[in-house]
Amino acid sequence: MPVKELGALHSVGKGIARIDADEKVRGKAQYADDLHVPGAWYGYVVRSPVSHGRLSGLRMDSDFDWSQVVVVTPEDIPGNNIVDMMGRDMPFIAHAEIQYLGEPVALVAAPTRHLACVAGSHIHPDIEEFPPLLTLQEMVAQYKEDPSKLHELSAQTIRKGDADKAVNEADIVMEREYSAGHQEQLYIEPQGMVAVPESDGTMFVHGSMQCPYYINPELCETLDIPPEKLRVKQSAVGGAFGGKEEFPTLLAGYCALLALKAKRPVKIIYDRNQDILFSTKRHPSWSRYRVGLNKDGTIQGIRCEFLLDGGAYTTLSPVVMYRGILHSAMGYRCDNVSIDGHVYRTNTFPNGAFRGFGAPQALWAWESMIDELAEACGMTPHEFRLKNCLHEGDATPTGGLLRDSVGSPEVLEKTLERCNFGEKFKQCSHGRRGEKKWYGIGLSFFAHGSGFTGDGEARIKAKAALDLEPGDNGKPVVNVRISSTEMGQGTCTIMPQVVADAMSIDVRHAYYPMPDTFKVPDSGPTVASRTAMVVGSTVFGAGRKMKADLEAFASEALFEGQPVTLDQDRFRGSYGDKEMSFEEVAAEYLARKGPLRVYDQFQLPDFIKWNQNTFEGDAYPAYSWGCNVAELEVDTLTFEIKVTKVTAYYDIGRLLNPVLAKGQIEGGLVQALGYAMMEKIEVKDGKYDADRMQTYVIPTTLDIPEMDLHFVEYPWEHAQPGAKGVGEIPMDGLAPAIANALVQATGIRMRDLPITPERLFQMMQEEKTA
Amino acid sequence: MADENTRGRPLAGGTDLMVQWESGVLDMPERAVSVKHLPELRNIEEADGEIVIGASVTHMGIRRSPLTQKYLPSLVDAAATIGGFQIQTMGTIGGSVANASPAGDLAPSLMITDGTVVVASVRGEREVPVTKFWTGYRQIDLQPDELIVRFRLPKMPEGYREVWRKLGPRQAQAISKVMGSCRGHVADGVVKSFRVAIGSIAPTCVRLYDVEKWVEGKKLDEAVLAEAEQRTSDGINPIADIRSTAEYRKWVTGRMVRGFLEQLAGL
Repeated sequence: MPVKELGALHSVGKGIARIDADEKVRGKAQYADDLHVPGAWYGYVVRSPVSHGRLSGLRMDSDFDWSQVVVVTPEDIPGNNIVDMMGRDMPFIAHAEIQYLGEPVALVAAPTRHLACVAGSHIHPDIEEFPPLLTLQEMVAQYKEDPSKLHELSAQTIRKGDADKAVNEADIVMEREYSAGHQEQLYIEPQGMVAVPESDGTMFVHGSMQCPYYINPELCETLDIPPEKLRVKQSAVGGAFGGKEEFPTLLAGYCALLALKAKRPVKIIYDRNQDILFSTKRHPSWSRYRVGLNKDGTIQGIRCEFLLDGGAYTTLSPVVMYRGILHSAMGYRCDNVSIDGHVYRTNTFPNGAFRGFGAPQALWAWESMIDELAEACGMTPHEFRLKNCLHEGDATPTGGLLRDSVGSPEVLEKTLERCNFGEKFKQCSHGRRGEKKWYGIGLSFFAHGSGFTGDGEARIKAKAALDLEPGDNGKPVVNVRISSTEMGQGTCTIMPQVVADAMSIDVRHAYYPMPDTFKVPDSGPTVASRTAMVVGSTVFGAGRKMKADLEAFASEALFEGQPVTLDQDRFRGSYGDKEMSFEEVAAEYLARKGPLRVYDQFQLPDFIKWNQNTFEGDAYPAYSWGCNVAELEVDTLTFEIKVTKVTAYYDIGRLLNPVLAKGQIEGGLVQALGYAMMEKIEVKDGKYDADRMQTYVIPTTLDIPEMDLHFVEYPWEHAQPGAKGVGEIPMDGLAPAIANALVQATGIRMRDLPITPERLFQMMQEEKTA
Repeated sequence: MADENTRGRPLAGGTDLMVQWESGVLDMPERAVSVKHLPELRNIEEADGEIVIGASVTHMGIRRSPLTQKYLPSLVDAAATIGGFQIQTMGTIGGSVANASPAGDLAPSLMITDGTVVVASVRGEREVPVTKFWTGYRQIDLQPDELIVRFRLPKMPEGYREVWRKLGPRQAQAISKVMGSCRGHVADGVVKSFRVAIGSIAPTCVRLYDVEKWVEGKKLDEAVLAEAEQRTSDGINPIADIRSTAEYRKWVTGRMVRGFLEQLAGL
């Protein structure tokens, strides 16, 4: 199928250097801990030492000099003691119930970090302890026995056709369970925030975050201030991966509450240990499938239960679960689908956003299941996928129509061809005795919804603005005013590229300043693989408007009324030889009329229909597509597993910047490798056991396999520049591809993440004794 | 050092101590005295069939010396797996030994030489066999006024081979799950000499004397290899911790010893 063109672009599609590279390489970028805030005190959170209980009071040691510090308890909160996320069940500071170890019971601020800690150690919560529910395993056991005894935070179903009937009537019925554990984001820069109470009653929150317009309005109710009195600004962010999506609201709240009472700025910077112990992680998950097949390999019916361990409070777990169930049967044709999603409470820190947002958990299970189904009907994994995969014009599990921009089956076909899958598949070792290495190759194929789940984009109505104003050097600059943040993924580079093409100017005239809610409209959060597609197209629209405004101005003021076109940085009249550069015209505009601001707003095409109650229709405006092939070797002496090569094709729509896009894929695959094979964090006595970088192990350079990565471009056809999502999809497919390769190498099917030599040894032993 | 009132904690590279002070595992002492730059502790020399390594020689120093490369190859290989470039440039052999972590990666390669640790104080010098220097979990045979000054390590004899193997949770910057070294000589498939030491499976690094004795003189066929593996696993009692399970450690130690023998025999 030919790649559809949206018109030539000059800047988009070029791998220009990151605009923020220089300041980051030179150490000039100001991260939260670099912010110089005169007179700032340090905040400290006093935490519950138990996982579950009832708080009856706080004892404060009378021999401590309390005059030198400020202490905040729930009584000091001006508004409601509620973190206003999807559920309104979480308090900023516990006042009655304790739902997790580490839950705040008081806040302290002091002139030094040390004194704040010392003061905190003189505050003792009185807690009557209750038995906690701590792990996914306990949660699943209870679910199987009697789910009504669990505390449900959220539930959702998907129904299409009659799945139970279709499964029961099928030739082959297969039932399987899969699980995956926590994953820590482990960004380089830990969480950090400063709150500054301004003299006019404004609270200024400045720090490391993904979503300035989450903190505003979420904090307004607690601080009891109107949104216009809460200013939120992003500092340079050293990685986030979802870990700075909803969590910074908590940190901003602690700082702001302390700053209000102390009447001075308050800063909290977590060290690594605190950051791992007391911030969000990927939700542990459990999937159970019951799938019916015909002998010829047609999928008749899919029945799936998808459970997430939500941690102590709701936060944004419902949407994580939604994305999970929307990907739990995605990618393949089937008319009968029934999926039940649940999020249950456990007594650990609330789990939260992490790159992929439920999809990696769902696809880990589903893409492992697909291999098991293929085997059950005597087909190879690639034949089975080629037979069943979705094409343009097919329907998704929610009955959404794949109208256009569908990179399937091309990514699948190309990947198989590129790595010579069919031949290599025949060479797998299958645990043969007498070999020093076992070889295996495995496959995964997947789609990832671009943009907010369900009715999200229709609800958010992303806004973008462009400001033509004098830059720091006095020359005119077009500043991109969006709340989408730069957190390492490239926003601050791709947005000027988009502006350059929308206006037909050189990319050096456009700039992306760090978002500040006093200057940027609400473009929605920096999440859900939506920035390039949704906000990018809105920026493009604003660029077109600014181009038209400047052409009209030039025509009237500088070209004696003749029609004027701005093309490749030059204004030209439709007759005569007169030409002016963008810079000259823009400077004239600024001199005569002052700064120019234009807005645009994202319009979801009206044929995209979604029912948020029944989960029917188009769950996403578009999908990115991907295929991963993992090759691995198992050392038969030690069962060490080494992934030697990953071959992959992705369709992420139009490539805005191919170098950055490839960087996203490479980085995401490494993170997925960690999820699949190394990253293991368990709850011991209510506390995460791997609470330092020494014990929480992520891949190093030497662990990274050879990567053979390629793109095919099926641009989103409904708005320029035609990008789809790239941020999350690299996280989706590697874990199941590795598990599928491991089966071919060893004969052992791993159904729990992470996959380690210890687990392989244990399963080999179990197989021997069985 | 001799006066306990003014005594400071000896500090070599600080790559272990500073982490322990920062994380609160150890209290930070009032004084620390860096011994890293004492010239007499920084040499690697050859003397009387031995390689003498000063206590402040860094991991990078071990990696780069032609003497260690030729005569103590498993020590070189072990040093290359400790931390990253920065740690290898700061961390020292004396510090690593004094830190006495059961996962200290240099320990097995030192133990298989049957060499000695030389410690010094104002009372003079004293020599302790490497195999006796670690007395328990994070315990060493060193008085408060003593300092480790050098290691005397018999060279690998002609015709012998050494092998190092480390199993960690990842390929670099890893703390060992199990690691070990062997020094041995196999001729015509018959084990003439075999010394093997394993770390991370007991409170200290351990020599597997029983297995060494049992295998010496035997012809390495599948039955002997299998029994050496089994005897190794049966003879140890490792614990489970955050890095690995007890069962895997017990099994894989046997596998490693089998692998060592296979490699010595060129199998």
